[in-house]
Amino acid sequence: MFCIVAFIVLSILGIFSAANRRLAKEAMDCVFRRITFRPCNTGFDEKMKAKILGKVIMRSEKLASFINKRFEILAWAFFVIGMAALVMSVRGLVLFYTTGSCNGANSEAFCVFDPTGANNDVSDLGGTCPVVPKTIENLTLEGVDVQSFPTRYANGTGKKIIFIGCYSCDYSRATYPLITKLAKRYNTPLAYLEYPVKLHSDYLNKVGYCAYQQEPYKYYWLFNDAIFAAEKSQIEDQSFIVQTLADLGFDMPKLQACIADPATTTVVESQMEQIRGTNFYGTPTVFIGDEVFVGPKPYRVYAIALKGFFYWLRK
Amino acid sequence: MDVNKIRRDFPALNDKETVYFDSACQSLRPQVVLDAMNEYYQHFPACSGRSMHHFAAKVTQKVEDARISLIKFLNAAKKEEIVFTRNTTEGINLVANTLFFKPGDVILITDKEHNSNLIPWQKLCRQKGTILKIVPTHPDGTFDLDAYTKLLDPRVRLVSFGHTSNLDGVTIPAAEIIKLAHQNGSLVMLDAAQSAPHRQLNVRNLDVDFFAFSGHKLMGPSGTGVLYAKYKLLEEMEPFMVGGDTVASSTYESADFLPPPEKFEAGLQDYAGIIGLGAAVEYLQKIGFNAIQKHELELNQAITVGIRAIPGLKFIGPADPALRGGITTFYIDGIDSHRIALMLDQMRGIMCRSGQHCVHSWFHSRGITGSVRASAYIYNTLEEAQLLVDHLIKIRKVL
Repeated sequence: MFCIVAFIVLSILGIFSAANRRLAKEAMDCVFRRITFRPCNTGFDEKMKAKILGKVIMRSEKLASFINKRFEILAWAFFVIGMAALVMSVRGLVLFYTTGSCNGANSEAFCVFDPTGANNDVSDLGGTCPVVPKTIENLTLEGVDVQSFPTRYANGTGKKIIFIGCYSCDYSRATYPLITKLAKRYNTPLAYLEYPVKLHSDYLNKVGYCAYQQEPYKYYWLFNDAIFAAEKSQIEDQSFIVQTLADLGFDMPKLQACIADPATTTVVESQMEQIRGTNFYGTPTVFIGDEVFVGPKPYRVYAIALKGFFYWLRK
Repeated sequence: MDVNKIRRDFPALNDKETVYFDSACQSLRPQVVLDAMNEYYQHFPACSGRSMHHFAAKVTQKVEDARISLIKFLNAAKKEEIVFTRNTTEGINLVANTLFFKPGDVILITDKEHNSNLIPWQKLCRQKGTILKIVPTHPDGTFDLDAYTKLLDPRVRLVSFGHTSNLDGVTIPAAEIIKLAHQNGSLVMLDAAQSAPHRQLNVRNLDVDFFAFSGHKLMGPSGTGVLYAKYKLLEEMEPFMVGGDTVASSTYESADFLPPPEKFEAGLQDYAGIIGLGAAVEYLQKIGFNAIQKHELELNQAITVGIRAIPGLKFIGPADPALRGGITTFYIDGIDSHRIALMLDQMRGIMCRSGQHCVHSWFHSRGITGSVRASAYIYNTLEEAQLLVDHLIKIRKVL
């Protein structure tokens, strides 16, 4: 058993030191003999035991005696711990690959592959709403009339993507191009639910609604793409928004009238109420089928949720 | 003898953490030996006895000086009796392969010979139909003269014994053994690998026929050794390896071999090694073997007294350290010898030999898996002996 433990440990240490690589090779030979039901006669385990005891005995005879008497048990313990760590590591790796977090979807616990937790950062609702507990268990699309929100590739097939985002939020801005690329790549319906987390972008909510009412197919989405592509400072400038809409050929007087219409305010507030009803706690929040992702995940995470583990093989 | 002064001659001992108790395997080398070897490579790195230029003349002279040093070291009759080899093993193989044996000839060895003085004779038995007989030693490892006498009969062609055992340090009564063998008409070969570094030698007084030893155990370079043989025997023996430097002349059909020792020294020799070996024996003679033996006995006594109370520890060889030279070999029931040796090295850099010391036959016949061997030499101190004792006691407490 000791050979196996030593092989694992020395293989890792061998990355950094040639001496440990040599020992790892010896351990591997010993392991190979063991798994082929032959005695480990390389002397490796004896050598390592002596080395360990030789070091420990100079510090504590009692500890050395303890290790000597329970060497095999300790080796087993290390093996079990090692195997558990290996399983956990593989699990963490798979979870990171599929969800962007080592500890499962949207978990903010420490992940060595994402040490800063960037994949789980969100633009908090903050002062705009009552504080919402950060938990994905309560996230739901029940009560949301998705049809009433702008939808791209509406005739597409497969799972529907529902993206709750915010024009002026960094994480939504990072995620939007990935989601649109994904929807386009797989011709998947994509509903965009704008929720202005930052108060100064409230105006854009009405603009978006009215633009969609005026031309729901091509130009609304061009406008949406342009807003997400623009600098944040630009989208806070109403003249830039107006100019963009004009450039895209929108009927500006009609649009202005729509924005000023109290009915628009009512509808938009109703939509925001529906979005709040999802119990989301920050943007971006992306629903793909039964799965939900909070925070800016890598492209592969959304793609796996949409098309499975081997998404790159799918058309 | 000033051990501290001697220690300064050995570069390998500069590291204070080095405690070397493995001299029976290979001794450390003094600076004078390293200098002698370097001198060859730096100042006259040429062939001996072939070319006519001044480098060649110098190296020829140095090699002959080394041979003369060895004559003095062994008290041989003439330099032609000194054949340079690579080690003791080669010396024994040379005799086994070139001395005339006929089927039915008996070769006597003891029951605790190094593989080098066992395997060549086993091979000879298979090839030429000779018979190998084993002389049992007493239970304490000392030589059993009665058992030896009983086995001596007219068929015994050669008696080949280890002069001093590498297993337990016991030295056999060589003079008496040789006298009895010669009365029986048998030749005697001594494997002197462990005796040459530690005791005054006199091959003429011993009247030994063949005497082989290695350079690396007596402070000389690795890959050097000597076979002493009586000139008359060397003349009768066919060359072992043949080729360059063994012949005076050759035709396409035949060769005219040179007289000994040249006919046994085929090919280009390790001149640096030979010169270093000459320096080593001179160094040893300057110190004096009486002082060496006295010092080794003190060390062996200190180690023996220190460890004999360790529970479960058993000595291999006689209880009296005076009969074991510089060697203390022991084992502890149930504890792997390699583990003890590795722990000594790990704990304090104490280097001992562990295992079966190339005497597998002895261990197998007694069902002992291995032992630890501490072999002391002139550069070891009583403080080091005490360190060894203290650490062995500590190890025993834990294992």
